[in-house]
Amino acid sequence: MANGSIVETTDLRKHFGAIYAVDGVNLSVRRGEIYGLLGPNGSGKTTLIRLLLGLLRPTSGTIRLLGEAVPNKAILGQVGYMTQTSALYEELNVRENVAFFAEMCGRRDRAWMDEVIDLVDLRDRSGSPVRTLSGGLRQRTSLACALAHRPGLLLLDEPTVGVDPQLRATFWTYFRRLAGSGVTLIVSSHVMEEAERCDRLGFMRQGKMLAEGTAAELRCQKGASTLEEAFLQFAAAGTEGGSL
Amino acid sequence: MNSRRILTLALRVIQQVLRDRRTVALIVFAPLLILTLGAILFRAKPAAIPLGVVNEDQGITSPVGGTINLGQRIADELAVGDTFAVVVLSRNEVDDSLSDGSLQGAIVFPEDFTAQFLKDRQAVLDLRLEGSNPARSMAISAQVTQAAMRTLAGLAGMAMGAAPSAQAGEGKLPVTLQATYLFGGEEFDTMDYVAPVYVAFLAMFFVFLLACVAFLRERSQGTMERLAATPATRAEIVLGYMLGLGLFAVIQVTVILFFTVWVLGIHHLGSLGLMLLVIVLLAIVGVDMGILASAFARNEFQVLQFIPLVIIPQVLLAGTFFAVPDLPAYLRPFAYFMPLYYANQALRDVMLKGWGLAEIWPNLAILAGFIGVLVVLSALMMRREVA
Repeated sequence: MANGSIVETTDLRKHFGAIYAVDGVNLSVRRGEIYGLLGPNGSGKTTLIRLLLGLLRPTSGTIRLLGEAVPNKAILGQVGYMTQTSALYEELNVRENVAFFAEMCGRRDRAWMDEVIDLVDLRDRSGSPVRTLSGGLRQRTSLACALAHRPGLLLLDEPTVGVDPQLRATFWTYFRRLAGSGVTLIVSSHVMEEAERCDRLGFMRQGKMLAEGTAAELRCQKGASTLEEAFLQFAAAGTEGGSL
Repeated sequence: MNSRRILTLALRVIQQVLRDRRTVALIVFAPLLILTLGAILFRAKPAAIPLGVVNEDQGITSPVGGTINLGQRIADELAVGDTFAVVVLSRNEVDDSLSDGSLQGAIVFPEDFTAQFLKDRQAVLDLRLEGSNPARSMAISAQVTQAAMRTLAGLAGMAMGAAPSAQAGEGKLPVTLQATYLFGGEEFDTMDYVAPVYVAFLAMFFVFLLACVAFLRERSQGTMERLAATPATRAEIVLGYMLGLGLFAVIQVTVILFFTVWVLGIHHLGSLGLMLLVIVLLAIVGVDMGILASAFARNEFQVLQFIPLVIIPQVLLAGTFFAVPDLPAYLRPFAYFMPLYYANQALRDVMLKGWGLAEIWPNLAILAGFIGVLVVLSALMMRREVA
């Protein structure tokens, strides 16, 4: 793992016909870092995450995950993935869902599963079938599934959509704790205030990485007072006056 | 290939299906209901056909005394047995009775029926049919002709001068049938011929639907995407499903088969275990067809659209009700691409002919081949969503 990069892409492109969903992205995320992918809907965040997982084949460019070339089924056992919609088995209860994904990744650790279920505050509902859960509870179950096998790398696609502010704060406290223990996180979002909590940010628009850096750096570069303002200015510069 | 992951997947599939009680009930009891109805219908004696008789025949005076009225004799012959419910009526009531459905047919004997027969040695039967159901029309025509032939056979020599005997109505046909059966026997009815394949078809059909919907849901609820992001390979996912749903197929087939044999009393000459094996193999083909088909469906309604496309043609062309050699030559080749055809053959061989593994193994091998091909195709089709 050269220079400690957990995720490394070089000139990564994914074209769907005339649509350039990911268009020349060079990403480098270090171990223990929380990297925020920021951008409007349709900017290519989800496509980028799916490329990293090997769920899509890139049009060109290379990807290395945990030091291995993607696609590589074996390394997926060390990667946790939270999809945008809470993809869960409706008939199974919370614990069964968590246990299933842990097992598919080759790990079953009861104590850890309990901890994960506690973390998302679902101990009381761990026996409830998912179909009886509200949107927020599903989202929490979904996060628990992504953590179930103690992954070293987490790819979270808009993990806090539909989560109330209090739980969102809990999630972020926990993300920080994971990062502290050496877990690397890539979190996509279109909520700017969330972005402030990331170690480093990448602004994405129309498949391109407009800018990268810490929240403070990005604000400074454009002399903006908020991240949102900075983003708009980067976007305007990127398309020479085009609108966002 | 990781057997532990396959097993985990299979257990999850089993758990999911078990949570859905109604589906479990459907899989097990719906075939029993359909089979029972089938048995009742195939075995039911058809109701007597209402047949009108208009007898204006005057007859002739016999040389040995009394009158000979052939119209009346044929009418009496028709009334024997329970094929027809004979109704006597007059000529002008016939059309109304046929059109309001109270009669399916009517036979009219004119005034000179007997006289004309003796003169020409040829009877012309004036049969009027309701006619909307061709099969029924044919049955009535055949039965009426036979009754007339039985009646008139004893009179054959009459015109040549011999006196008609008083028992002419009980005249015998010059042919007596003495049939011997290589397979089956007189105690076998249509249900015995249809039941084996009926069972096989039902087993395949229900697991096909189950597999298709289960796999479709995996995609529509997004868990396939998540599963794809685990180390599980496409082949493992297909095999996991096959194993999990295969278990339900085994349970279902066992219940159906034992019900068919012991409750419905279907005859079987060969081994029950071998029959079970054939049907389970076919059911697993059904699971794999379902998984493959789900790749082409976007929602549950589109799954239903596979019934006329994938299921009904198999019922029609694979020898379930219509024997394959009876199909037009250009349709016959399709049967050879249908797994149901091979299962049907194997099952009839075992149930009706009492054949064993030594004779039917080629059919089993072909079914196994279908499973292999379908697993590979299903795994390849998943490439669209699982890289």
